Amino acid sequence: MSDTPEIESATETEFARPRSRRGFDGWRWGGRLFLVMMLVYTVVPMAWMLLTSLKTGFAAMQFPPQWWPKEPTLVNYKKLLDPSNSVGQDFLHYLWNSLFVSTTTTLLAVLVAVPAAYAFSRFSFPGRRFLFFAVLLRNMFPAVIFLVPLFILMRMLGLVNTHGSLILTYLTFGLPLAIWLLKGFYDNIPIQLEQAARIDGATRFQAFIYVVMPLSTPGIIATAIYSFIGAWNEYIYAYTFLSKNEQMTLPVGIQRFFSENTTDWPGLMAASFIMSVPVVVLFLVLQRYFVRALTEGAVKH
Amino acid sequence: MAQVILNNLVKTYGAVYAVNNVSLTVNDGEFVALVGPSGCGKTTTLNLIAGLIPVTSGDIVIGDRIVNDLDPKDRDIAMVFQNYALYPNKSVYKNLAFPLQMRRLSKDDIDQKVRKAAEMLDMSHLLERKPRELSGGQQQRVALGRALVRDPAVFLMDEPLSNLDAKLRVQMRSEIKRFHQDFEATIVYVTHDQLEAVTMADKMAVMSGGFLQQYDTPAQVFANPVNMFVAGFIGSPAMSLIPLQASSVDGQTVLTGAEGWVMPLSAENARKVAKASSKKVVLGARHSTIKLHKTQVPGSVPAKAYTVEPTGDVTFVQAFLSGAIVNISVPPTVDVAPDEPVWLEFDQERMHLFDGETELALKA
Repeated sequence: MSDTPEIESATETEFARPRSRRGFDGWRWGGRLFLVMMLVYTVVPMAWMLLTSLKTGFAAMQFPPQWWPKEPTLVNYKKLLDPSNSVGQDFLHYLWNSLFVSTTTTLLAVLVAVPAAYAFSRFSFPGRRFLFFAVLLRNMFPAVIFLVPLFILMRMLGLVNTHGSLILTYLTFGLPLAIWLLKGFYDNIPIQLEQAARIDGATRFQAFIYVVMPLSTPGIIATAIYSFIGAWNEYIYAYTFLSKNEQMTLPVGIQRFFSENTTDWPGLMAASFIMSVPVVVLFLVLQRYFVRALTEGAVKH
Repeated sequence: MAQVILNNLVKTYGAVYAVNNVSLTVNDGEFVALVGPSGCGKTTTLNLIAGLIPVTSGDIVIGDRIVNDLDPKDRDIAMVFQNYALYPNKSVYKNLAFPLQMRRLSKDDIDQKVRKAAEMLDMSHLLERKPRELSGGQQQRVALGRALVRDPAVFLMDEPLSNLDAKLRVQMRSEIKRFHQDFEATIVYVTHDQLEAVTMADKMAVMSGGFLQQYDTPAQVFANPVNMFVAGFIGSPAMSLIPLQASSVDGQTVLTGAEGWVMPLSAENARKVAKASSKKVVLGARHSTIKLHKTQVPGSVPAKAYTVEPTGDVTFVQAFLSGAIVNISVPPTVDVAPDEPVWLEFDQERMHLFDGETELALKA
């Protein structure tokens, strides 16, 4: 293949990547082009959102559009975050509601999924397989199918117009996948680690807390992010179950910016941007856990 | 340190007997190797002693307590796992400290014991490292350190050397042996490598199919295997087992090979053969007890060389005899070619005879 002598590549340090000595690699460049296109496709709408949120209402409606805001302004953000006017009051309310619902959902999901996944991974009990697949059954149907039955159920439980109804509903989405995801993590933690801990003087529970839990942190965090984002972005259930203005979550509440006659585009974009901030921050802070090698060095394979 | 006694130990999984009625005593300070092929029940036996799986029936005694229903943490044991099972998120120091923390020792006590153990195992400079930053041998040593740091009554070791490369394995073998001598530790050691068992253990328990086949010193097991399984498992190359027919010619007991040759037996061996349940007898012989001749001599039987493997010190010749393959070791000066006819002379004093039906060793 390569016409350079063997000796040359042998003297290269292992960090220096051998350069491709072949010419134009169509597949590689094709791949790069594809990735760039995907990047543009995903980034441009977000960039446009951010730019629009910095414009005045008049500038936002101009045609041809102002690609770059001529008079950038933060007035839209100020309005949203200022509790003294009605828009700001509502927005902060929605933000708080969304945070509350999503955080509670996440905490409950992790609290239930961690022991459930551990049990599925480590214990054999009657009906284990059946239960495990039953858990997934819920996710085989589109969410909308359950809208009416769940609404009727919530009405019977007297939970309509409470955040509890949303939290319960989001758990039915989030939990099954959380359990599946975490079970995979636990399956990858060698059982010998727990056995060693138990011999070293830990009870089964202590072995779980001191040895298994720290190792499954990446899994727990991934699970938590997953259910947080799911709850944070959910629209249709929140729209159906809640009717009072002060209870609404962000995705529903943002509709306020569409009024009968005009739409406050910069305000809407500013609200959307603020809404995406927690998710992005969560990802940036916690993403290293996703990539960190799980049990590297624990055992020799 | 303490003794370990297994009494009629049974472990079943459904209808499968993983451990079948095993009884043995490990004396205080003894190094016992559980040895056998994969799936023979040796690891299950060790896990039963550790308390990681519940016993089906029978008793386990450690020291003077029956520990059947005790949690692993209450059995006063330490275990070294095949994959070391070091806590990957903890430093070496914390790995060593963990068993002590679980026993609620004071911080100063822990620190002192950890540093002492690290010093004994020559890894004081590694204490702040994470397991993944260590070499295989160092990881192995940390695992050993975590076991000895709290001075348990019994050490259980589950194939601790099988993940090391050949050179390191030999080195760690002598380190573990040294460790046993220095601490007079009671050790139960599981291995599939009969060489490890023979070289390290005071006694070896040979297991197969969940049954304990033989429990004795390596020398005894080597010299007097109780059945054909043990004979074929212990020793490298394995003992050759040759199926033959016993008969009587002119009042003398002889063995006849499939090729029709006849081998007269000594008086003692004749008495052994008389005890056999049928005419089928299996002759067992180790490579070093068979003499290879290039010409026929009295008492020798004809065979055909199959492969020749020079190893430097000795040359191993494999030959076909009566449908079996026979291993013979010869000096490297002897020149044998494959497919060459050879004559084999068996040492009547050192040959083993087995009942062809029951596979048990025949005794005079």
